[in-house]
Amino acid sequence: MSMIEMHNINKGYMLGEEKLPILKNINFKVEKGEYVAILGPSGSGKTTFMNIVGCMDVMDSGEYFLDGVAIHSTKEENLTEIRNSKIGFIFQNYQLIPTYNVMQNIIMPLLMRGIKHQQAEAMCYTTIKLLGLDKRMDHRPSELSGGQKQRVSIARALVGKPAILLADEPTGALDQSSGKDVLKLFRELNEMGNTIVMITHDLNVAQSAKRIVRIVDGQLQE
Amino acid sequence: MKLSEIIRLVYLNLIQNKFKVILTSIGIVVGSATIMLVIAIGTGGKETVAEQFKNLNAGAIDITYSGSSEESESDFSFGFDMEGGGGFSMIQGGGMAGGGSMSGFGGDSGGGMGGFSFGGSSDSGDEVVMTMDDCEELLTLVSGISDATISYSTTASVEGGDLDSATYYTVAGVQDNYADMSNLEMAIGEFITEENNENKEKVCVLGATVAKDIYGSAYEAYDSKLYIDDRPYTVAGVFTEMGSMASGVSPDTAIFIPYETGIKYITGESISPTLTVIAEDVNNVDTVMEDALTVLEDIYSGSVFEASDAGSKMDAASTSNETLTLLLISMAIIVFIVGGIGIMNVLFVSVKERTNEIGILKALGCARKDILLEFLLEASCISFIGAVIGVLLSLGITPLVELLSVRVSLSVEGALLSLFFGVITGSAFGFYPAYKASRLIPVVALNQE
Repeated sequence: MSMIEMHNINKGYMLGEEKLPILKNINFKVEKGEYVAILGPSGSGKTTFMNIVGCMDVMDSGEYFLDGVAIHSTKEENLTEIRNSKIGFIFQNYQLIPTYNVMQNIIMPLLMRGIKHQQAEAMCYTTIKLLGLDKRMDHRPSELSGGQKQRVSIARALVGKPAILLADEPTGALDQSSGKDVLKLFRELNEMGNTIVMITHDLNVAQSAKRIVRIVDGQLQE
Repeated sequence: MKLSEIIRLVYLNLIQNKFKVILTSIGIVVGSATIMLVIAIGTGGKETVAEQFKNLNAGAIDITYSGSSEESESDFSFGFDMEGGGGFSMIQGGGMAGGGSMSGFGGDSGGGMGGFSFGGSSDSGDEVVMTMDDCEELLTLVSGISDATISYSTTASVEGGDLDSATYYTVAGVQDNYADMSNLEMAIGEFITEENNENKEKVCVLGATVAKDIYGSAYEAYDSKLYIDDRPYTVAGVFTEMGSMASGVSPDTAIFIPYETGIKYITGESISPTLTVIAEDVNNVDTVMEDALTVLEDIYSGSVFEASDAGSKMDAASTSNETLTLLLISMAIIVFIVGGIGIMNVLFVSVKERTNEIGILKALGCARKDILLEFLLEASCISFIGAVIGVLLSLGITPLVELLSVRVSLSVEGALLSLFFGVITGSAFGFYPAYKASRLIPVVALNQE
């Protein structure tokens, strides 16, 4: 079974009385350990596609299997648990909670699984070291650089050992040097066996992935 | 998520928004302080009522002469009766319900100058003066009476002890059973005896305040000489302190003398006594009251008597106190509602401000119930903090309220109730914003700036 398997996915939004189609008959597969970039210009539907892959939005029709789980027939309240256990999100603008320090942000997915605070901190130690954040644990997001914030975001995505890492424009808010560091890190994580799906509008960024899928006008093209 | 972790997150959020927490909780602060003071004032009122009635027997019925039946129809009677040359006494013809107190000034009746009588009513000369014989009649003819007594009060000049000059005090003429029937206790000495009364002996029993005013203490007062209307009386005893009374003679500030002694040396026959009977069964007070009035109206045909029972007075005072408490509680509820709406508004703003954070939590897999619980606990904690401040504030306000002569009785129960209502109000009004937060769609919340 593939890690991601999508058949005839359609999604549209109501615009007045008319329905505006965003995704049209999407068929998509990602195998375990793949590193895939979804490349598309602004307005092509890639954010909507990412929301559906990330189980944050529901499709109008079609079938979607994530690590063997039939997402299309899963209720909204159960999608919360799937997001927590199967997906590691990495956002363009990091989406860190400003009032929590680095450690508190990183351990959040583990706490949500009911793991005790001390145990969660112990579980994060290897990941924190890997990402070079061990000297920044007590810092708030506002005290970090863009690259460091994205590392925190990546650490938070990794600690739960998800089935896939889903990155939305992960270098979009970073300078060139920091962006390169993040992409290098992605390759290393992929080599460690992590499955990565990255959404981007930048061909240079997409080229760091092993496979590129273009999204044009709501349709995927290999 | 574990409850301990949610509590930790709540703590982090509160500690980083201290000023907002204080501002949000102001409504609850005021509400809790109000509830605390309302309970304290209500309890103080109850204690005052209980104190004022503690010398009243629930089965006690006071009967006074109201006037002739013709006077009653006109519903007005007023008279002066002056005798003994230099003195006059004022008698309210309307009766002495509520303890048989009689206002007046007793002068020197020994002048032998005769006097004159002036009456506002057509036949004030036929003024009915009840006697001890009427007590005997009631005890014989009315069933269900355990005891009966007769008393009157006036004011008279008093000298002796530490007094520099003559001072007017309330003087009550009473029978030997008065103290028992009024639940009065002796601090020292003995109460007036039957012999004192029969022999018209010049003995007196002092109220606690009177003894303190004139002699400094009950011990000093005992067995001393006291001059009432220039005649020497021996202090046979002193009562314990009873506090203020709702009606009738206040025992702390009165001097008690034998009934007959007072008539002979102070008031003469121009008195308007109160006849007090005790119903054996408190449930039969109404029947005893009706029967007693019938018997008296038979004895003094054409006369009208008024009766009032202690139980009704207690009920009326309690009802009045409860009405006041209810009014104050209503006020506290309104304050709480206003405070609760304040909390709701601030939490709505807080949810709006933290929409992105809620989106992040939802994207990471935080369950709806955890988000609901987190916001609800925040509301509860804010209101708890407000309630604690409110209770402390009420402790500070209490001395100011007491300056207004309002009796305030603070209690632990009041503080706990105040905390309870504070937290309940905050949590109830905090629920809706928390529910709205928990129902946010992750994608929409994440994209909120």
